This record gives sequence, C-alpha cells and structure tokens, in this order.
Amino acid sequence: MTTAALVHVVVSGLATGSIYALMAISLVIIYNATRTLNFAQGEMLMLSTFVGWTALQVLNLPLVVALLVAVVAAALLGWILERVVIRHAISATHFDVLIITLGLSLMLRSAAGVAWTHDEFPFPSFFSNRPLAVGPVRVAPVSLGIIGAALVLMLALAALFRWTRLGRAMRAVAQNQRAARLMGISVERVYSSSWILASVVGAVAGVLIAPVVFLSSKMGLVAINGFTAAVLGGFGSMPGAVVGGMLLGVLENLAPLYLPASIKHSVPFLVMITILIVRPGGLLGRVAQRKV
Amino acid sequence: MRRAALATGAVVVLGWPWAAPRYFVFLASLIVINAIVAIGLNLLSGYTNQLSFGHAGFLAIGAYAAAILTIRAPALPVPAALLAAGLVTAAVGFALGVPCLRLEGLYLAMATLAFGFVVVEAILNLDWLTRGNDGLHVPVGHLGPWALATDTARYYLVVAVAALLIVAARNISRTRTGRALLALRESEVAAQASGVHLAAYKTLAFVVSAFYTGVAGGLFALVVGFLSPDSFDVFLSVDFVAMIIVGGLGSIFGSVAGAAVITTLNDSLAGFQNYRPLIFGAILVASMLFMPGGIASALRKIPLPALARTPGAVRPHEPSRIPRQGDDA
Repeated sequence: MTTAALVHVVVSGLATGSIYALMAISLVIIYNATRTLNFAQGEMLMLSTFVGWTALQVLNLPLVVALLVAVVAAALLGWILERVVIRHAISATHFDVLIITLGLSLMLRSAAGVAWTHDEFPFPSFFSNRPLAVGPVRVAPVSLGIIGAALVLMLALAALFRWTRLGRAMRAVAQNQRAARLMGISVERVYSSSWILASVVGAVAGVLIAPVVFLSSKMGLVAINGFTAAVLGGFGSMPGAVVGGMLLGVLENLAPLYLPASIKHSVPFLVMITILIVRPGGLLGRVAQRKV
Repeated sequence: MRRAALATGAVVVLGWPWAAPRYFVFLASLIVINAIVAIGLNLLSGYTNQLSFGHAGFLAIGAYAAAILTIRAPALPVPAALLAAGLVTAAVGFALGVPCLRLEGLYLAMATLAFGFVVVEAILNLDWLTRGNDGLHVPVGHLGPWALATDTARYYLVVAVAALLIVAARNISRTRTGRALLALRESEVAAQASGVHLAAYKTLAFVVSAFYTGVAGGLFALVVGFLSPDSFDVFLSVDFVAMIIVGGLGSIFGSVAGAAVITTLNDSLAGFQNYRPLIFGAILVASMLFMPGGIASALRKIPLPALARTPGAVRPHEPSRIPRQGDDA
C-alpha cells in the first residue's frame, strides 16, 4: 500500500464521513430540542432529494436551482411533520415518539416508492469525475467537493448556533427547557425551527451524496450510519457528531484494505461497541448526571 | 368477570386448530412465539428501562442453537433442545449485558442494534456450522414417542411453552427479585438506597430476557422449519420494540396483545407489497397519537379494567421513571 493510494482512500473516507457527519448533525439538532430520536431523518433526506431531482428532470432547471427546490421542500416537510404529527405527541413518552418517527419513516419510504418507483436514478453532480493529480496523489474532485461543501455548511451552522438569536434560543432549550421557557423563549418555535433546520441539512447532504450512491427510495438508510456517528461522538454534541462521522467514514474505507472480507461489515459496529464500553457517553459526550 | 375472560381466552386458544384453516394455525404459532419474545423484551424494557434493538439477534442465536442441536443429536427430546437454546442465549445475554450496564438510553439502543448486525454477520461467516446464506433445514422435533410433524402439534407445543413462561413472568413480579426490579423501575436511586444491587439486577433482567427470547427462537426453528440469516434482520428487532410499545410497556397482557397486532398486521398486509409499509406506518403513527401508552393502558381507561390489570404494569398518567418528551435531562 503506497502512501499515495492511502491518501486517496482516506480522502474518500472523509467525504463519506462528511455525509455521515451532516446526518448526525441533523439528528442531534432535533434531539437537542425535543429529546426525540428521529428515525425518519433518512427518509426526509431521500424525499427532498427526489423533489429536487424532479425539478431537474421535469422543469429542466439548473442544478443550483434544484438544490434550492430540495431545500425548500425539506423545510416544508420538516415543518409539516413537526406541526401536524410530532407536536400532538408532546405529552407522550420518548418511546411513543420513537415509534411515531419509525412509522413516519416507513410511510415516507413507501410513498416515495409509489411516486417515483423503487428504481435507482443517476443524479448529476456539481463536481467532475476526473481525478485530480496532486504530485503522485490522485484524489476525486467529488470527494473534495463534498468535504468542502459539508465544511462550509458546518461552519454556517456553528455561526448560527453561536451568534444568532434563534441559535441561542436553541442552545438554551437544549440545556434546560423549563428555564428557557421562563426566560421568554417560545419552546414551540424552537421545536419547529429544529425540525426545519435538520430537514434542510439533510436535503443538502442528500444532494451531495446522490451522485455517488444513486438516487433511490432506499437512500434513507444512510441515516443508520448517521446514528452510529452521532453515538460515537456523543449524542447531543455537535463537534462530536462531526468527529464521529469522519471517524466512521475513514474506518469504513480503510477496513477492507487490512481486514478479511468476512468481518469488514461488522467493523463500524465493533468499533462502536468498543468505544461505548470504554467511554459510555461517546468520544466527546458526557454521561448525564441526574439529580435525585 | 376476569375469570370469565380468562376462560373464554383459554377455550379460544385451545380450540383454535379445530376452527381455523391450517395456515392460520401456523400464523397463531408465530403470534405466540412473538409474544414470548415481547414478554422477554418487556421484562428488560418495562422493568429496567433498557430498550433493546438487538432481540432479533437473541432470537437467531436461540433458533440456530436449537436447530444445530436437533441436527447433531436427533434423539434429543424437544424440551431439552428448547432449554438448551434458552441457556445458550442467556449466556450470550450475560456477556452482552455486563458491558451494557454502563450504557443508557440511546447508547444502549445503538449497542444492541450493533449486536444484532454482528450476530447476522457471524451466522453468515460460520458457515461450517450454520450453512451461511444457504440456510438450515430443521428436522422434525420429537416429544417422547410423538413426532411434531403437523402444524397443530407444533401449535400446542408453542402454546404450552408460552403458558409456562407467562405464568413464570407473572410470578417473577411477586418474588423478592420481582419486587427489586419494580423498585428499580420506579427509581434507581431509591432502590439502591434500599439495598437493591443495581448492577446485579440489571444484568439479571438481561439474562432472563435473553432466555425467553432464546426459547422463542428454538420454537421458531421448529415451527418454521428453515432458518436463514435474513429472517433475523434489524427490522425484526424493530418489530419487537413496536410490539411492546404498541402493546404497553411493563404489561404482560400488553406484550401478548402487541405481538398479536403487529404479527397479524405484517401478515395481512403481505398482499399489498407496495402499500404495506405505508399502511403499517400509518397505523403505528395513529396508534401512538391516539393511544399513548399502548393497548394495555387504553384498555385500563375503559370501564372494564379487569382484562388489562397486570400487577405492576406501568400506568402512563402516574409518575414513573420513563422520561417524557420535553423533560430536562
């Protein structure tokens, strides 16, 4: 294994990892606001990407506009789901809400299958496929593009959480809902905003990944890796989600090179079990201390 | 009232093979097997709040253990094979439960989910033992002089084992162990302060839950007659979780009801391949929106409470340790 080839594998691992990180971030956004694990996240991504693709195919719009269409569709979808379904389950237990999002994910996947069939469709990319040669190292522009776009989005999110009123409100709700409400923050509005924001992040991830994995109703399964990434990093922590996603992406790409084919599929899970046993709160997470 | 309901239930369950077509006898066996898994999962989740997404893995271990034993030792009576399946699975449950003691909530859910994936991969790779993707044919089991060759015979075996396990589960909550588990469910801190050994009892719950699921796996092998790794995927684990939540956490009656509802739904929607997940998902969403706490707690609200009252069932509108949405962590 030459260094150049190794760099290539690591770069494409980081690209996959950025997608996992974006998925993990959108899961964490919703979890921090509503303490809900959203099983439908992957299907929301898939559905918004399909809407963008339809804009591309049927209306012949340019790719940038299709991305915008996907983002708007995602925002609408997130808002509707939260407003119409999740909000009404507000008195239910976490376990009940878990089953609700599970039901939603089944419904969305099936609805996409009915609307667009369960086939796989090619999706155009912003980036060219011709490998770029940097000295002896060859990297795919797609990988670099995905990493770059994901990083820009992550920085934008970090800025939003740090400096805007909405971001502060979301952080306050994540810390202590009752106190946030007493400070005059509309917790309901934070719920809506979180679902919209998470859905939009998912749509961007969907448009970035669709050229690589093809567009299909099964695309939402990428959310499982998003869960793994978020748990690896420590659920609830944004930097943790990014670290967990990158780690998972690189491991997944490196494992087949060094390990027998028979156990390579188990690698992400074995890594996760090991990390959780050593650090039960994930890499950057804390184990919640509960007062009596 | 309660006696009458129980008696009617017993008559229906015992008379079922004579009233129903053959396929429905098979389906009823599957429902009862799933009910055993749901009860096992509920002992873990309903009592110690540890939600597991890996019970399909336990079911697979029990099923393969029973099948391999029956193939290698054809003279082995069925109860011994089932017991062995349960014990092997319980041992795996112990090995998984000890490290999982450190995990809570989501982390436990992910670790058990990962366990489910690893079990399926292991079955694929140990093909000298499990025949991997080709699948494993399970020979007909023997109970003394009788061969369990018909659906009806296997149905009665399943029902007998289930009855035994249901009585055991009900009685667990009346013993010292059961009271310790109940105390843990209400408040871990208060229970520990009263001398309940948290780690020991949480591990015990894992082991008992795995044992139930392992026995159910053995029955599954006998009833279905053919095992392959893709029968035990993640979606099956998710189905089990759906059963106990739709049925009602912490309630034995709820586990059985949830298993019946989910299994029947899955089966009756098989004809509408394209719309199946759509309908199934819609029913899950609707039932949780309009019936939070599951079937058991919905029944408790109507004026015929005798049916659903299981000792120590979670009552959703009383304070309990299950965190509600919107609570502060």
